[in-house]
Amino acid sequence: MAPTSASAATVAIGSRHVSKRFGHVQALRDATVTVPPGKVVALVGDNGAGKSTLLRALLGLSQPDSGEIVIRDKSVTLHSVRDGLAQGVDAVHQDLALAPHLSVVDNMFLGHEHLRGGGLQHVGVLARREMAERADAALRELSIQLPSLSVPVRALSGGQRQAVAVARAVMWSRTAILMDEPTAALGTRQSEIVISLIRTVAERGLGVLVVSHDLPRILTVADTVTVLWRGETVLEAPGRDLTVPDLVATMVGYRAGEAV
Amino acid sequence: MSSDAVASPAPGPNRAGPEDDDPRDDRALEPPSRLAMWLKTRAAWVFVLDAGLVALFTAVTPNHVFWSTANAQALLLAMSETLLLALGLSMLLGAGIFDLSLGANLVLSAVVGATAVEQFQGVHGDASSYQNVVLAVLVGALACVASGVLFGLVNGLVIAVGDVNSLIATLATLGIGTGMAELIANGSDVAGMPVSLQTNIGLRRVVGIPVPALAGLAALVVLWAVVRWCRYGLRVQAIGSSRSAAERAGIRVRLHLVSLTILAGGMAGVAGFIDLSRFGATSLSGHSNDALNAVTAAVIGGTLLEGGSISIIGTLWGAALAVILQSGLVLSGVSSFWQLIVTGFVLLLAVLLDRVAMARRAHGHGK
Repeated sequence: MAPTSASAATVAIGSRHVSKRFGHVQALRDATVTVPPGKVVALVGDNGAGKSTLLRALLGLSQPDSGEIVIRDKSVTLHSVRDGLAQGVDAVHQDLALAPHLSVVDNMFLGHEHLRGGGLQHVGVLARREMAERADAALRELSIQLPSLSVPVRALSGGQRQAVAVARAVMWSRTAILMDEPTAALGTRQSEIVISLIRTVAERGLGVLVVSHDLPRILTVADTVTVLWRGETVLEAPGRDLTVPDLVATMVGYRAGEAV
Repeated sequence: MSSDAVASPAPGPNRAGPEDDDPRDDRALEPPSRLAMWLKTRAAWVFVLDAGLVALFTAVTPNHVFWSTANAQALLLAMSETLLLALGLSMLLGAGIFDLSLGANLVLSAVVGATAVEQFQGVHGDASSYQNVVLAVLVGALACVASGVLFGLVNGLVIAVGDVNSLIATLATLGIGTGMAELIANGSDVAGMPVSLQTNIGLRRVVGIPVPALAGLAALVVLWAVVRWCRYGLRVQAIGSSRSAAERAGIRVRLHLVSLTILAGGMAGVAGFIDLSRFGATSLSGHSNDALNAVTAAVIGGTLLEGGSISIIGTLWGAALAVILQSGLVLSGVSSFWQLIVTGFVLLLAVLLDRVAMARRAHGHGK
């Protein structure tokens, strides 16, 4: 559980001049973002700036029209989300992407289930005890406490679900984690905890890309801030050099050299 | 939202210590007994209802004839086809898809199988003129299953690849399948099956259990194990619980959906062969309610209509409920009009009992 394989590279995950069009809408025009291993990059922008579209492209959920996706310094083509997962790229989706009827353990292992060895492997028998132990260990490592790992996820609170989704992504990502509004559903204290989790995850050598509207909070954790404006990267700057008003101005286009 | 997901910044065991009296952390408590756990499930409630009805009908039928080996065998035989359809449907419902065409699939499979068997007749229409009975039956069985599988495959392709709502897709294939069955059978039931089909399969018993029921029970055991222990069962329920979550976890959702419709279709094909071997003829008009009966059995048994949770054992008790009622009311001499009314009320009762249990569950968890 020491994901250091990405550390040798200079880019854990990123995009270069990516564009994507949906019918009449040019969702991405020239989107470039670079997430080095061990760093936290905040991706910010106004609604409709193309943040979600870029995230989807980085995850393999959709394919860009032009430009390239880079994972561990290599230009890659992600045909599906499975290709992204195979490269060790995982995500905390805004809706968390949990199966509400399944238990915490089953959710954490969804798509990565452990099977019993021997002849039982061929019929796909689950190694439930091993899965439960590993899920428990992964949650402990992040100091996440849950009432039980066998309850269905729908019985958990919003904050607990968020924690499960984060722990799952941390458990399976070896290269980078993309987080879409990880604090949107949370209260103040829980948000602080998630922010410190983001720090912890980056310190393990993973690249972390965070999409957030929570500018004051995200500035405390981001090494770099990338601003998207109408599908284009208009600013890439160290987080410590930026103030919230600056950022807001850039997000709405004042610094992009065009009239709004 | 009030509770904390991530507490205590210091890394420590994920188990509440003695000083932590968080009432939500129940892992330190004795786990509830297996019986207590079981009684909280829908399957348990329906089983209790089944048992109550058996006791009631045993008491009220003349000479307590309901409680007899012969009646037990009749019940098992009567529920064998419904059980096969309902088990297949439970799996589909688990993945969040529906199938209204199972009855049509059964009929079409039986017609295809019967037509295949007929090819081995020496004199057309003469049930005693089969040249090679064993081969005829074997080919018939294969034709039934193949027809069912193909029907399921078509459903699956329309639903998974064509992205058509399963209710609409199977409503369409229900019509197509029924029409094709009528067309192949030329509008009248295919009869004249070899007698040994009935004596050796449809009406035969092995260690006292009707052969058709054995097929249903075998499917029950296999699917129960798959749902409980296997990755396939887990992924199917994940798809039903949240299709988009399953997709983003890298699960091949379309492939799973097609495999499920093939499974349910194949089981409908087996049910078609059973129908043929029980009655020695097809039954074009006898299965129009089968798909809905299968839904009833599955849902009464606790499989969620919304997807995400399958109860295989519950489906067994749900299917049993229908035949117990049917047979009990007939043996008690209740008129057929009353049978419909009583059946409806018992179904309501089953669901209401579950509501009570669910309210208690919710109360017990204090949420």
